[in-house]
Amino acid sequence: MSRRASGLRAWFLQRATAIYLMLFILYLLQHLIFNPPDGFAAWQGWVAQPLVGLGLLLFFASLMLHAWVGFRDVLIDYVHPTAIRVSILTLFGFALIGCALWVMQTIFLATVA
Amino acid sequence: MKFSVYRYNPETDSEPYMQTFEIEHRQGMMLRDALLAIQEQDESFTFRHSCGEGVCGSDGVNVNGSNKLACITSLTELKDPVEVRPFPGRPVIRDLVVDMSQFYAQYEQVDPWLQRKEPLPEQEILQTPEERDQLDGLYECIMCGCCSTACPSFWWNPDKFLGPQALLSACRFLADSRDQAGEERLDKLEGPYKLFRCHTIMNCVEACPRGLNPTKAIGHIKAIMLKEAI
Repeated sequence: MSRRASGLRAWFLQRATAIYLMLFILYLLQHLIFNPPDGFAAWQGWVAQPLVGLGLLLFFASLMLHAWVGFRDVLIDYVHPTAIRVSILTLFGFALIGCALWVMQTIFLATVA
Repeated sequence: MKFSVYRYNPETDSEPYMQTFEIEHRQGMMLRDALLAIQEQDESFTFRHSCGEGVCGSDGVNVNGSNKLACITSLTELKDPVEVRPFPGRPVIRDLVVDMSQFYAQYEQVDPWLQRKEPLPEQEILQTPEERDQLDGLYECIMCGCCSTACPSFWWNPDKFLGPQALLSACRFLADSRDQAGEERLDKLEGPYKLFRCHTIMNCVEACPRGLNPTKAIGHIKAIMLKEAI
């Protein structure tokens, strides 16, 4: 993590991802309200559409970047001992990467099914 | 009117305590007048004050939980009993007097003076009225410290986050058409701490006795940074 980049870049990333998250949540909500998938197969078919799959992948990528910046901010504010901060941040990073891989696997499995 | 005042003399007291005083509320009385009346009852009571009209910025205190200038705070706007404490998050020297050296050090970090690279002209550097307008809302700061000591980001990282007052000053020089060190000023504010610890909590705006808006100034600095970065 470059010292120079982590101020402005993190701040901008958090705002940019927030906009995408908001737009995609609106799309998700209207889809689930007006066009709810009827069972697992319908859900799978919906996710298998290339645009929806891509949109979902972008959504989760944004969510994780957003969470990373936000969580890092909370740690910088509240957790001051370096060893504890680095440990929690590393654990959280691994958890985020795990979640990201899991989402990718789910969407991939839905598209090949 | 009842006053509960923070007392601490490190030379004689093992820990701080609150002391109650009863003051006769006369018409037009400001909080500073009440503190002076308390001082008449107990000469050892200590607080800073000077001009008495909200210009010098000496008598900032925490009243009923918010930071205010005692000299321009009317007693009528305060809820009885009034609790007066020193600024939160600052080391107490005695009673309401706190050590502000860290606050001044933060101010110094933003190089609060005009910097020119071109040789200075014979006469003054001229500004258009529009360029002068850019400084409104930024130059009026009296450095009382009400904003910075009300800021949670400042409480959490006072050694690394510059605080609303210093950032307002940074913005004042970034906005000045006569200043030519904008790049260097922005470089000095980079990183996760100095500027970006601000989470737009806006306690500073609520606390400022001059009605200034440090949060807006901080947003302005971020916008200039973004513009310069892409």
